[in-house]
Amino acid sequence: MEDLIAVPRGWIEAFGEIVKFCSKIVGEVFRLRAFRFFGETLRQAGILVVGSTLIIWGFVFIVGATCGLEGGYFNNQNGVPAYSGVFAAWCDLRELAPYAFGYMMAAKVGTGLVAELGSMRISDEIDALEVMGISGVTFLGATRLLAAWMVLPFMYLVSIGASFFASYLVSVQQLGYVSSGGFFVIFWEFQNPPDVLFSVIKAMAMATMIVLVGIYYGYHASGGPVGVGTATAKSMVLNLVGVHLIGMLGTQIFWGANPRAPIGG
Amino acid sequence: MPRFKMFGGSDDEPQRPEEAGPPEPGAPPHWGGPSAGAESPSERAESPSERWQPPAGEPSPPDEPAPIEDERQSGDEPEPEPERADESEPAAETQPTSRVSVIDEPASRPPPPKGASEEEYKWHTYKHYPSGRPDAIEFIDTYKAFGRNQILRGLNMSLPEGMVSMILGPSGTGKSVCIKHMVGLLYPDDGDVLVHGNSVPNMPDDDLFDMRKKFGLLFQDGALFGSMNVFDNVAFPLRQHTEKGEEEIGEIVNRRLSEVGLGSDGDKMPNELSGGMRKRAGFARALVLEPDIVLFDEPDSGLDPVRTALLGELILEIHRDMMDEAKAKQKEHLPTFSVITHDIMSARRVADYINVLWKGRIVEAGPAEDMLNSDNPFIRQFLSGESQGPLTMD
Repeated sequence: MEDLIAVPRGWIEAFGEIVKFCSKIVGEVFRLRAFRFFGETLRQAGILVVGSTLIIWGFVFIVGATCGLEGGYFNNQNGVPAYSGVFAAWCDLRELAPYAFGYMMAAKVGTGLVAELGSMRISDEIDALEVMGISGVTFLGATRLLAAWMVLPFMYLVSIGASFFASYLVSVQQLGYVSSGGFFVIFWEFQNPPDVLFSVIKAMAMATMIVLVGIYYGYHASGGPVGVGTATAKSMVLNLVGVHLIGMLGTQIFWGANPRAPIGG
Repeated sequence: MPRFKMFGGSDDEPQRPEEAGPPEPGAPPHWGGPSAGAESPSERAESPSERWQPPAGEPSPPDEPAPIEDERQSGDEPEPEPERADESEPAAETQPTSRVSVIDEPASRPPPPKGASEEEYKWHTYKHYPSGRPDAIEFIDTYKAFGRNQILRGLNMSLPEGMVSMILGPSGTGKSVCIKHMVGLLYPDDGDVLVHGNSVPNMPDDDLFDMRKKFGLLFQDGALFGSMNVFDNVAFPLRQHTEKGEEEIGEIVNRRLSEVGLGSDGDKMPNELSGGMRKRAGFARALVLEPDIVLFDEPDSGLDPVRTALLGELILEIHRDMMDEAKAKQKEHLPTFSVITHDIMSARRVADYINVLWKGRIVEAGPAEDMLNSDNPFIRQFLSGESQGPLTMD
């Protein structure tokens, strides 16, 4: 019985530790301490832009194209090819763009953070930083979170654009089941500005969680290179679960009560 | 050519530290507790700080030196290292009376840690020979465990100001853990750690980060930031903690890099450096803020004997320069260096003061000459590196 309880208790303890650490990082940003190291924040923002932008946009573009294909074939089969734009408006904006963004953030940025900070931990670089009188939580954690908040909303907005563009290309230019004007009439009919805002909120919640989880696992890595590898794998698992939880909750909260579907009056 | 000769050398060799004041004439070793009086009198009264008389029926004790009172009464004890004194130096500078005390009142030997037998600690005489200096760092009855692994088990240790102190001891005995306690990277489970009289475990975070600015720490592998070149690594503390312009920072960094022989390697990345170069770069970075206390975590690990000797010389040279500078600027605290090592030759070459740590407690501590001449079989075995003696593979 003790053993049975020990496992979930360990999970709850670990989760509590993660929440406590992440709250500290967020607190450092809101108390403006991260701005003491604004140079480092800008450096991290630059790394994020240069290192991750194209790959995220590329991935979301492919997912948007998939939405366009599915929408085109499905609606054509049902005799309403003009409604291909619904898929672009809903599938892209509400679900697949945030998920694709979250997947690539977890795979590229989250694991990168664990690997980078974990290597710094096992080579005593974080201890060296602390001994210099510089808070590792602020310098390494809060700056990265602030950089993510500075860069990712814009990166995500362009990602949405990339997914829309891909859906348009496939539905209108490749399949040709619907005209350009017909596509856009339905496309705009099924979304409004708050939907974009909700989508950004959803994606930013995912991104924030991914960055915080990455920082936590990297900062607390131990056990040499194998420990860093293990921490990277754990962070990926947690991030994927978290991305879907946030995606599900976001859909429920933002569109559950009012799906804003102008069908049937 | 080394600048200094190790203690016990002939009198015509330059002695060091030139600045060190002598212990009080006839000053005895004191036992167990920290040597300086930075803590409150009540804390001091509780510290296990007096000479131990072996109880009847104890297993054969170490070769115990003659009882102190006998020595003092006989009047034929050796003079207390007059060659290590600088008589031109004001006494007040070397012995601030507020933080120096020599305790010679008899007291009982501290009991072994919980779960340990007296037999395991029979070589621990807990003697602390007086350094004649106030303590920069003190451990007071410090306990630390990692899970079931007890590391520090009631440690009482002091590192005197203005000296190069060594912490020696077998592997796994808690030396690196001590360093992490000094800078607040670890906190004791029980007991206290004082830096210039301030309790590290009780500091708020902001004070702790301020206190850490007093420290320079050379990690085993240098712990250089892999994303920066050598110049930026050394400049990093200056950029973060000072308002100096880039030109001035450049001058300071280049001077420090030249001191450690890396004047032309500033643009190299850490992965382009050898192990010894990384250590030297780490040394330059540790010194760049002119800290009061510099800690070296096994600076000789992975180095060949010649480079180990050169690094030892460098430590001494920079300590001497910093002492001169501290005196010239009349700084509140003299620079304190503390070196963790297994290398006995390094200890003989570099140490002013030696703490021998084993099983989480100090076996004996004192000025290098006293320790190198210790009668304790454990100390003798360890400092001579012999296989025969109390220390075994167990």
